[in-house]
Amino acid sequence: MGLRIWAVMQKEFIQTLRDRRTLLLLLSIPIIELFLFAYAIRMNVDHLRTVVAGAEGAECYAYVQALEASGYFDVVAYVDDQAEVIRAIDGGRARVGVVFPPTFARDLQRGTAQVLILVDGSDFFPAQTAYGMAGVTAQDYGFSVMVERLERSGYDTRFLHPPLDMRMRILYNPDMSDLVFLLPGLLAMLLQTQTLVLTSAAIVRERELGTMEALLVTPIRPLELMLGKIIPNIILVILDMLLILALGTGLLRVPFRGNVLFFFAVSALYLLSGLGLGILVSSISRSQKQTQQIVMVVVLLGAILSGFIFPRYAMPKWVQMVGLLFPLTYFLGISRGVINKGIGWSVLRPSVLSIALYVLVVLGVAVVSFRRRLE
Amino acid sequence: MIDLQRLRAVLRKELTQLLRDRITLLLIFMMPLLELFFFAYAVNLSVDHIPTAVCDLSLDVRSRDFIDALVASGYFDIAEYAAGEADVIAALDEGRVRAGIVIPPDFAAQVARGQGEVLIILDGSDTYSVQAAYSAATAIAQHHALDLMVEKLRRQGQTFELMPVESSVRVLYNPTLDGLIFIVPALIAMLLQILTVNLTAQSIVREWELGTIEQLLATPIRPLELILGKLLPNLIIAAVALVLIALIGFVGMGVPFRGSVLLFLFLSLLFAISGLGLGLLVSTVAHTQNEAESITSMLMLLSMLLTGFIYPREPMPAIVRLVGDLIPLTYFVRIVRGVVTRGVGLTLVWQDVAALAIYAALAMYLAARFFHLRLD
Repeated sequence: MGLRIWAVMQKEFIQTLRDRRTLLLLLSIPIIELFLFAYAIRMNVDHLRTVVAGAEGAECYAYVQALEASGYFDVVAYVDDQAEVIRAIDGGRARVGVVFPPTFARDLQRGTAQVLILVDGSDFFPAQTAYGMAGVTAQDYGFSVMVERLERSGYDTRFLHPPLDMRMRILYNPDMSDLVFLLPGLLAMLLQTQTLVLTSAAIVRERELGTMEALLVTPIRPLELMLGKIIPNIILVILDMLLILALGTGLLRVPFRGNVLFFFAVSALYLLSGLGLGILVSSISRSQKQTQQIVMVVVLLGAILSGFIFPRYAMPKWVQMVGLLFPLTYFLGISRGVINKGIGWSVLRPSVLSIALYVLVVLGVAVVSFRRRLE
Repeated sequence: MIDLQRLRAVLRKELTQLLRDRITLLLIFMMPLLELFFFAYAVNLSVDHIPTAVCDLSLDVRSRDFIDALVASGYFDIAEYAAGEADVIAALDEGRVRAGIVIPPDFAAQVARGQGEVLIILDGSDTYSVQAAYSAATAIAQHHALDLMVEKLRRQGQTFELMPVESSVRVLYNPTLDGLIFIVPALIAMLLQILTVNLTAQSIVREWELGTIEQLLATPIRPLELILGKLLPNLIIAAVALVLIALIGFVGMGVPFRGSVLLFLFLSLLFAISGLGLGLLVSTVAHTQNEAESITSMLMLLSMLLTGFIYPREPMPAIVRLVGDLIPLTYFVRIVRGVVTRGVGLTLVWQDVAALAIYAALAMYLAARFFHLRLD
């Protein structure tokens, strides 16, 4: 049996290594992904382009200065009225508009000043940041005006400070680096995508080219054929994983807090689930085109529903249930747990057992449907 | 130059192949629908109701007030009460909660002395929650502290209005910061690109791989007619899919459509053509369907990250933005946000429209050149 598997493996290796371009693509895509995540993705937006209308007098400019000093707003133009502000936002020239009423200075004296802040709501992150920061800076400014006024009225402001202070501690990722958060997810995502794509493609391709039958008239058994086709893929995927891990923790300095061996052991288990899924996909689809469509859906839905980018607890219950169909969902918690949090078997036991169960079920179903397909 | 009869022959072959394979056809239409559906319901861009562990070692009026203020904001849901800081961290470790609040003993007295200190612990392995929690907690604590201070000053006999400025923030086009309004227009654009690029790349590379392209070219059909015959059915599929997903998005999910529908459809056509051109380019580079798949999924990922589809383009380094400029979705995301969400007309988005038109023409031209090169 081992000898026959070895023969198939050799064939697969030769086919893979011969096709340099595909190999290059396979190895380079994850690296490109890693660097993109490392350097391109910033969810924090600052220096939002801001236009100001109706700014007259020192009070208005002091307020504008406070906005700019926060680092979140860059004033790019002063305009006459609100209509022009809206035109600037409509045209995408500005994200934020600040509109002062003509009576701002007088209202400020009376303590009833109002500023209108308009935010471009067509893009999410800028809108969210502008929304939050506009309120905070207005409060800051109000506070400084208040202190100044108390000083003028002879109040000793040296001891005037908010009586409550907040210390914020961010566990696992004190600098709030997006990469620290994304690397474990990226690894999990990569392992699933690569195994799924490679396995299903390898099987469907043989079938479409008609070489599957040719292979099966040889003494080889279906299970051996499958194993032989899969092992080279596993080796490739593991290579990819090591590469990403080395680059991520070495070059990009993402800390790896947990036990590396434990991580590899669970990853191996997780790989099997991707393989099972791949065999399943290839045995239900009839052509490479169909396989591609199904794989695309699995990859995309996996990315969305597993918690890779968007937290699962914020999703409706039934969407969370659908997410449980993807092995990525289970592995993500493990990957983040081991890499970011440094936790191990004692805490992660339920997740590991879920993956094991998933592997058993999916491999079982896959083998049955692969057999049936051959007959 | 183009013979209509020969073109019709290629079209007939393509349509027969397409319609014969019902399952694939069904998949082609189902995929965008599934994605639209799940994306729309799964993507909750504004994270609130963050599960939180509370460790209140003080249990007095002040600490209760502060916790109430956090819960009332809607950002924090108390998932459990912990006995100490270690328990809070254990709950975070195990992923039961994403945030923790620790209030030291004797909080009320500390506040009276002006030295109250609250500890907020956040799960840094989940950027989304951490950012929402960070800014919410900061704002709430600041607000709460100012309230306390104002209360104290009032007691000391300060009578004038203590917070002299109020800002009212109005979010245009999307007053409640509804995630669907952000995501659906851009998602429709994204799905349209995936569909046009993948279909085109796949169907041409398949002919190359199976060697049937030589057979086709040995007939009197010219390369241009062959390409057109391949592209037109894809354009029709894309148009049908577009109408389908737009109906579901704008009618079914109730996402407002503020601009001109005709303008949107016309610009979508332009965008679909640029997608076909890009697919054609991919097909001239890729040798096998596998390679085409690798390239298109890479493209999909780049499109998700670099075009402003989810992540803002402003903070990206210039070189990364430049890579994004090579993807037609970059222009079209800005166009749909303008035409659909902001309801503006051509005068305000013409630059992106012009860029898209140039893109479509250039992609087609280059693809045709490469196609000829590959034939020789």
